Amino acid sequence: MASDLAGERAGEEQEVAELQRALRGSERRFEAIVGALSDAVTIRDREHRFLYANRAALAHLGFDTWEQLRDTPPSLIMSDYLVWGADGREITMQDIPSVRILNGEHAEPLLIRTVNRTTGVQRWNLLKAAPLLDEDGEVDSTITIIEEVTAQRRSELGNSFLADAATELASSLDYEQTLRNVADLAVPDIADWCAVDLLDQDGDRRTVAVAHVDPERLSLAEALRRYVPDQLDPAEGLGRVLSTGEPTLYPEITEEMLAQSAVDERHLELLRAVGLRSVLIVPMRIGERILGALTLVSAESIVVFDQFDLQLAERVASRAAVAIENSRLYSERSMVARTLQQSLLPEELPSIPGHELASIYLPARETSTVGGDFYDVWPVGGGWMMLIGDVTGKGVQAAALTALVRHTVRTAAEFDCGPAELLAIVDRTLKQRPLLSVCTALCMQLAGEAITIAVGGHPLPLQITSRGVRAAGEHGPLLGAFPGARWTESRLDLDADATLVAYTDGFTDAQDERGERFGLQRLCDALAPLAGRSASDFAAAMAGGIEAFESGEHADDRAALVLRRDAGGEGSRARARTNDERL
Amino acid sequence: MVRAVKFEISEQKQGDALTLAVAGELDLETAPKLADRVGGKSSDGVAALTLDLTELTFMDSSGLRLLIELDRQAAAAPWSLMLRAPKHESARTVLRLTGADRALPFEEDVR
Repeated sequence: MASDLAGERAGEEQEVAELQRALRGSERRFEAIVGALSDAVTIRDREHRFLYANRAALAHLGFDTWEQLRDTPPSLIMSDYLVWGADGREITMQDIPSVRILNGEHAEPLLIRTVNRTTGVQRWNLLKAAPLLDEDGEVDSTITIIEEVTAQRRSELGNSFLADAATELASSLDYEQTLRNVADLAVPDIADWCAVDLLDQDGDRRTVAVAHVDPERLSLAEALRRYVPDQLDPAEGLGRVLSTGEPTLYPEITEEMLAQSAVDERHLELLRAVGLRSVLIVPMRIGERILGALTLVSAESIVVFDQFDLQLAERVASRAAVAIENSRLYSERSMVARTLQQSLLPEELPSIPGHELASIYLPARETSTVGGDFYDVWPVGGGWMMLIGDVTGKGVQAAALTALVRHTVRTAAEFDCGPAELLAIVDRTLKQRPLLSVCTALCMQLAGEAITIAVGGHPLPLQITSRGVRAAGEHGPLLGAFPGARWTESRLDLDADATLVAYTDGFTDAQDERGERFGLQRLCDALAPLAGRSASDFAAAMAGGIEAFESGEHADDRAALVLRRDAGGEGSRARARTNDERL
Repeated sequence: MVRAVKFEISEQKQGDALTLAVAGELDLETAPKLADRVGGKSSDGVAALTLDLTELTFMDSSGLRLLIELDRQAAAAPWSLMLRAPKHESARTVLRLTGADRALPFEEDVR
């Protein structure tokens, strides 16, 4: 019996030994497989204490040995990090997948962003957890796989940030707005602060925009800016970036660095108040030319900038440089165009005795192009000459042509030419030009109450009286276009209560939102009720009527001259420039 | 609200004769499109180009300028230009009032 028992025990012992061997074998195999994985793997018990962590997990959590990790309370590990979800929401212990499983919940994989409070290093991790069950099917422990996706996630975010940046930067051609957009872009996605500095033509630096996650802290930036000299040390910081065009990264701003750069106690206090953690300065350049620099600061978010941030910031800066340059060129061009346009219109209309005169000029909304509409009124022997026309084409070419036409007409008029002859002279002048140069023109000579009219491809002037609206004059060919063209003159005696309106086709061609044109009929309908009113009333009604009809921005410019016999006898003039501020 | 076709070019080729039928509005916005289309075709062995403007509903000075420009180009190019007049009054008026009806190579009398 005893030997049986002994034999039995020996058998059991052998079995246990075999089991233990098998277990050690499977542990070794487990360790061999899981231990060498590059993903971090941890197993935790029901109290969330670590039962196992592979080498990658130890490194990931910042521990040298398993014993250190085992003896550290999990809550303490969590408190070393700032943790956010992909949506930017703060993550607590209760959101962690393994904890949710222990709480009996289903746990989806969780993407988190962590920033180590001490080192400022940020990481993106994907946490996946699964329950390990005991023989009763109860959750005994949990296994978590932590996949580090920092590089992949940051590159995704960087690309989508750049795509948004491109849209944002393209949204405005206004110079000041573009500068603000550039500063706002980086905050808070890349940095807590962003400053934009530009070099002017003399190479002087100017801070043109500052953005901060918390606008209330901007006053701090304002105070700090007073300490920045206009002439920076070209060997350091921003000065170096602006002179060399090389980016600079200060991953860790130390207390010594602050003390060194502070000029006095107050300055140091301000620098400390900002809580500078990390600074990144990248040049904004186009080719070899350095426009300025972007200064990105990490403060309250604790993140330490690294090479990835540097590269992203450089890409943002190069896009910003293009946007800034474009908006600068655009505002310069708009100014040139406006100045040019203005020089092509009379400074002031003359007063014609016994008549009232008004004009309208509404430039096309595209401010950087010079429109082709022009008008002029000037005295000639025995009366007055009035000219209105439209050079087809846009921009500086059209402006040059407009100047040519106006000067040709003015010079020719010195020699007592009538309207038809003036048009013929302009036609010949235009035909001498190598490139196709055509224009419409309506020329009217006023002598006493008689008006002599010649028309070259231009809408006929309208005479408005209490009896209705009637076109005056006869159509003639476009100027500069056709060989053998001739112009005739017709005479109009302006009735005592009549108003004469000469306009360019920008009025009749205006479109509403359905694409319907304003047309001659609508123009006549709008003018008819105004009979007897002052010339400036006509001008204001025309400008207002077209504005009410039109949808969106008008592509073409428009001009009109309004002439009315003045009962009072004193000459008067008015100029309805509804958009004076744009000229 | 259904908006009429703003601008459309259809093309018909017979041997070395090309007809571009232009429908809709020829203005500041659409004239460059027609210019591009003609520019692209005139170099591929076309000897006779006809611009069929029958369905043109509107034309402004930019459109007219383009027709004059093409007429000039044709004079110096190995291809000829012929125009077919618009049937819509608004487009016809522009041609008549500017003298283009007589000066440009229309197949039949625009008036």
